[in-house]
Amino acid sequence: MKKDTPHQIPRHVTETILESISDGVFTVDHKWRITSFNRAAEEITGITRQEAIGKHCWEVFRSNMCETDCGLRRTMKQGKAFIDTSTYIVNSEKFRIPVVVCTSLLKDENGTVIGGVETFRDMSLVEELRKELDARYQVGDMVSRSPHMHKIFAILPQVADSDSTILIQGETGTGKELLARAIHNFSPRSDKPFIAINCGALPDTLLESELFGYKAGAFTNATKDKPGRFALAKGGTIFLDEIGDISAAFQVRLLRVLQERRFQPLGATREVTADIRVIAAANQDLLELVKSGTFRQDLFYRINVVRLVLPPLRDRKEDIPLLAERFIVRLNGLRGKAVTGISHEALALLMSHNYPGNIRELENIIEHAFVICPEGEIEPHCLPETLMCPISRPTAHGTIDSALKSVEAQTILDALKRNNYNRLAAARGLGMHKSTLFRKIKTLGIELPAIDGRSNRKRFR
Amino acid sequence: MKVALTVWENRISPVFDSAHMLLIANIENKMVTSRHYEPFYPKLPLRRAAKLSDLGVRALICGAVSQPFANMIEAYGIELIPFVAGDVNQVLDAYLKDILSTPNFRMPGCEARRRSTDAATGDGGASRSGKIS
Repeated sequence: MKKDTPHQIPRHVTETILESISDGVFTVDHKWRITSFNRAAEEITGITRQEAIGKHCWEVFRSNMCETDCGLRRTMKQGKAFIDTSTYIVNSEKFRIPVVVCTSLLKDENGTVIGGVETFRDMSLVEELRKELDARYQVGDMVSRSPHMHKIFAILPQVADSDSTILIQGETGTGKELLARAIHNFSPRSDKPFIAINCGALPDTLLESELFGYKAGAFTNATKDKPGRFALAKGGTIFLDEIGDISAAFQVRLLRVLQERRFQPLGATREVTADIRVIAAANQDLLELVKSGTFRQDLFYRINVVRLVLPPLRDRKEDIPLLAERFIVRLNGLRGKAVTGISHEALALLMSHNYPGNIRELENIIEHAFVICPEGEIEPHCLPETLMCPISRPTAHGTIDSALKSVEAQTILDALKRNNYNRLAAARGLGMHKSTLFRKIKTLGIELPAIDGRSNRKRFR
Repeated sequence: MKVALTVWENRISPVFDSAHMLLIANIENKMVTSRHYEPFYPKLPLRRAAKLSDLGVRALICGAVSQPFANMIEAYGIELIPFVAGDVNQVLDAYLKDILSTPNFRMPGCEARRRSTDAATGDGGASRSGKIS
């Protein structure tokens, strides 16, 4: 029987393979001049083979790592290959093209090093897809990975389109005005003004003149007409923040505007039509205020057409890394700093905090860190001292691992409480399988009450 | 007038975004009257452009430059001459003789253009669009 011997692959076959793959490949000699340049390299860089061959590789490849951390140089110096280094190259149109790069030595048949070979893959599509995935977590200026927020994001276009009056409820600092702006920006009134006013910050008389405006001579020093916020918002949206804080007398005046869609500026003899969409917000539970008699029931039902409730940050802690990253990017731009991110230890501290001031408090914490730490990663010492001894910290000498476990246990416990100890609902809320939740409850030693969501339901039957 | 060149190993740096050294040349009547090297470590586009402005630079000769950096430099009113390659002294000499747009000093794939306004149209090399910038 004839013994099989491996065939030597002819040179032209190697060239055919190199021409058919989608990864860019080029080779260099010892003087860093390009000796070969495949078809994909031409496509990715936008440079023809004729132009590239004989040129220095950095003039052709133009990566942001060429000068400081060239993979080919490291390979040639250390004699070993490097794989999957992420970088970007700059094409002749000044566009950055994200690429991953692999480098290795180029040897002849005798094993003598004759140069280096670099392969690179265009990651533009992956980047685009990553951006699209990120966009799923974002509506307007709001970002969230929380299922509760995603429910709001999902109905937001319909809510915006409806022109109905909206009531936004949520603790202070949860982003009520951001949500109101997002609704306005998605609405057919988006090209008209968005006017916000904090009703709780002004006494009745001032609030009246601010909202309704006045005519010249309406009172002493009213020398000329002043349009109110309702008039300024004509065709657009008015955002009435802290509506739960307005007086009983003013509630009546506001109710009339909302019912009749007309108002009368101070000192005017005629009523003016209010072509506005109203979004009201409160940080208290308005229904409780109605029950206690401090908020008019008829006004409550007038504004409670569509009600959106923003969860506090302690109930959506999964958003902390995402929000912190956004604040870092924004503050880097505003302050001209180069903070690259947050260390694991600092993030663990952020996760263990309870955030009574919600997102605004997190933003302030990051801003505090920017003062202490102008570049590199935010470390625990950059954070305010109040965070350094969080309530839920397990032990004074606890390791980072135990701190993370403590945060994990607290998050699970919070989710269970929110779902009336229904394990399945809590697992769904946490984005994990129920068996993973059971395993974590066991390993973290979380003690649970005898009842759960299911047993509750049975009790009511 | 002060002209800055991004320098790496006595050549023009391949990419302005990550260049670490500037050669600042003072030019009067098409002659270099003084020159010195200046470390260039800011990372952000705004900081890089502001540093050039603080140094009194009126024109910048550099290699490849990405859009965010190019925009910021031009916003500061600095003339941008990008996609230049070659030995720094030869490049400076070519600038003085106004022959920098010859192919000898152009990066591959970047057709000769006149100064920043032409460069901004991005007509050189194979066309790619929709890239992140």
